[in-house]
Amino acid sequence: MSNLLNMAYSVNISVEAPIENQIQEITYDGQEIYQTPLSMSESLAKLAQKIDFSKASTEEIVKEGADQQDKNDEDSATKESATFQSSLWPWDSVRNKLRNALTEVCVLADVLAIAKEKRYIVLDHVPQDALETKPMVQVYARKKALAGAASVLLAGAERLRASQNELARNRTTPDFHIELLRLRQNWRLKKVSNSIIGDLSYRTAGSKYAQTGMFEVTKAEEEPQATGSPPPSPGAGAAAGPPKSSSALRVTVPSELQGVAYIEVLCQKDQEDLCSATINLLGSGPASTNPDVHWQQKLEAAQNVLFCKELFNQLAKEAVQLQAPIPHMVVGNQIMATVLPGIQLIIGLYHSTGNDKKPNPTPPQKSEHDHVLEHSLHQLLREVHHKNTHHPFPHPSSGPVGPSKKRCLAGPMAADRYELLEMTKSQTLLEQIIQQAQHFFMRLRTEYVLDTIAKEVKDPLIVSHWNALNSPTQSCVKINIMTHGYDSVYRTSLVVHVGEKSLKCVCRDGRVMHMSYEPQELRDLIFCQIYQHQITAVQGLAKCMGWQFLANSTHLGLGAVEPLGNASSCILASPIGDRIIAVRCEPQTGVQVAIAQSPRKDFFPGQLVKERKWENLGGSFKEVRWDKMEGKNFLNKMELLMSSLTSSQ
Amino acid sequence: MSQPVTTAMDSLTAALKSNIIPNQEYLLQGSVLDSAVEVLLHRLRGLCDNVDSGPETFHDHEMCFSIRGTNLQPLLLRVRRALDYQDMPWQLRYIGQPEIGDKNRPTIVRSSIDIGTSSTVVEFLTELGCRMDFEYIVRGYMFRKGRMKITVSKIFKVGQVAQGKPAESMEPMSQSYLVELSVLAPSGQDAIAEDMRSFAEQLRPLVQLEKVDYKRLQHMP
Repeated sequence: MSNLLNMAYSVNISVEAPIENQIQEITYDGQEIYQTPLSMSESLAKLAQKIDFSKASTEEIVKEGADQQDKNDEDSATKESATFQSSLWPWDSVRNKLRNALTEVCVLADVLAIAKEKRYIVLDHVPQDALETKPMVQVYARKKALAGAASVLLAGAERLRASQNELARNRTTPDFHIELLRLRQNWRLKKVSNSIIGDLSYRTAGSKYAQTGMFEVTKAEEEPQATGSPPPSPGAGAAAGPPKSSSALRVTVPSELQGVAYIEVLCQKDQEDLCSATINLLGSGPASTNPDVHWQQKLEAAQNVLFCKELFNQLAKEAVQLQAPIPHMVVGNQIMATVLPGIQLIIGLYHSTGNDKKPNPTPPQKSEHDHVLEHSLHQLLREVHHKNTHHPFPHPSSGPVGPSKKRCLAGPMAADRYELLEMTKSQTLLEQIIQQAQHFFMRLRTEYVLDTIAKEVKDPLIVSHWNALNSPTQSCVKINIMTHGYDSVYRTSLVVHVGEKSLKCVCRDGRVMHMSYEPQELRDLIFCQIYQHQITAVQGLAKCMGWQFLANSTHLGLGAVEPLGNASSCILASPIGDRIIAVRCEPQTGVQVAIAQSPRKDFFPGQLVKERKWENLGGSFKEVRWDKMEGKNFLNKMELLMSSLTSSQ
Repeated sequence: MSQPVTTAMDSLTAALKSNIIPNQEYLLQGSVLDSAVEVLLHRLRGLCDNVDSGPETFHDHEMCFSIRGTNLQPLLLRVRRALDYQDMPWQLRYIGQPEIGDKNRPTIVRSSIDIGTSSTVVEFLTELGCRMDFEYIVRGYMFRKGRMKITVSKIFKVGQVAQGKPAESMEPMSQSYLVELSVLAPSGQDAIAEDMRSFAEQLRPLVQLEKVDYKRLQHMP
């Protein structure tokens, strides 16, 4: 706008500074006398006055350079007030000060040059007086300082604790992290990207089952706590409390592992239940479908389900692969195997998820061997797991890890092909459990036979002692046959080893007899032993009574053929020889006793036999009516008979 | 009865062809001082299999034989026996030269063939013409992780008494323990070397397991 104005009017404008000089005086004729402005040197002098030489040296150096140049130029100036020295011109003090400074700097430079040479002057530390330290003062000072710091920290900690307590009190469910810590103490967890995954399978314990047991851990949603039930103590892991306890975390198990499973082993005899072993590892009935069940219970139940599934899977595979005389059957969730003719073993897997209403199978009768077979199954699978992880170490240590000791020795000991093949064979789970079931039945039958005989036969007492220590496939029983009151006279002992499908009986005299699984065989054997015992006991008794033993036979060929075993007999003579007793024992018909008298009572000399001496040949045997005989038992009767026939002469 | 009769040679060739005989050793070695071995054992105990059973100890006696044939290089054979398990067989072992593979291999790979023998192997080798170069006693701990075997052992000089009880007069060779990580595997399974290396990483601050260049060791004074 102004440019336009300029071009239109073209007025020259000049700019000049206003007159700033002060008016010194105004003359009577109106003339103004201005104070002459300071000349260059005068203004410089004025500025130089402002320098304070006692201030920082940087200013001094800068000004010093400028002043030194002007010092030669200026010659006159007005007089100004000096510092402590009155000077003629303002530069005097400056000059003096500068001269002093120059002197000092020169001296310093000289000293430094000489000191650098180190011939005449050496720079050395000035010995400082050691500061007198009063230790107690220091201690007190430090104590105070630490007390101050400690109070600050304590105050902070107090505040944190108070806030934490309030938080814990207000929140009835335990903290998520504390719960996670408890969970981690019991189960293996790992963090995968955003989520926490856990593993409840037996894989690290040696299982090679394909199904994974992964579960996920999530934060539980905030729910209003149901009143009424007392709040659980924070961090409680026990599930003994009311099932309504909610926790801060939630575990999600795979759907096929939910619920509760158990393996049931049942022994059936053609249609009726002999015994059964129901197993429920958790100890309670079918699953509580409560979704608020504590995570520990849930995880344990899922692990149990996985274990039962693995066990059943393994058994089913073996049942299909094994070649048994009577093939095993696998139907749905049940495996049926024949243990002994007429007895079947049924192994079933029962899995209740709690969602659908599954009719409970008829409650199995719990015999006294309730958990044994299931526990055996459990142990067998765990043994398989253990073998998978615990391989033997090589000795010497530079050998390969893996081969067993037998295998290592196979080389140097020149094992043949048969031995090597035998080494590779191992028993399957199903075979092992069938063997155990077979042994169980053998033992049951043997017990039954012995108990029945003991009840039936009272005359010699049958006492059986079972070994306290036995294995799942072998037991031992020691049987003593003795007569009441005469147990020191004679006792028959035999040992019966009960195997899986056979019995082995070892008698005192060294005879070994093998029997099959039929109980009748054992019964027959025991009966035979009983009657042989009687004969041998009579001989022992005769020795006590002083009677002589004339003859005996354990397998008598006289008389009728016995249906069971053989008859045995013995003949005894009285001390003076005038009486003879003959005893014959057999299992079926019992005991027959006959006596004879040596000088015949009924001897009459006749035409053929004239002399008296022939009466000593002894008379015929007359049978004793044994049932009418006095005495508690056979040996007692024998004793009384012998004592009555003994005549002192 | 109806099976085809197979001779031992057939089975052996079949086994060799199917590559199941472990004839290669993958090895990593390191050492720790006596003062640090407890910590290492503790760590190994936690990392390796079977925490519940304690570490397995071993006490072995090894003898090295060499026989010089027509080749320039003598053949080296090692005989090792377990002094604490007298009924286990002795072991005759041949260890080959480490493979001069690329530097990227994480472990030493060398061929190793071992055979179980009876105690007469020493006599046998002597009759063949082998001479014993040296012998030593090793005593230590063994651990196992999967296929890997870790040994922490101390080497002793064999004492003067050779009555079968040299235990009293053993003196250690050094104030340190030798740590070895090895796997015996058939040839061609190089993936195990990676597993070995990652396991060695886990032991890293306590012991450094690495490939040892034997050729450099030989040239040292």
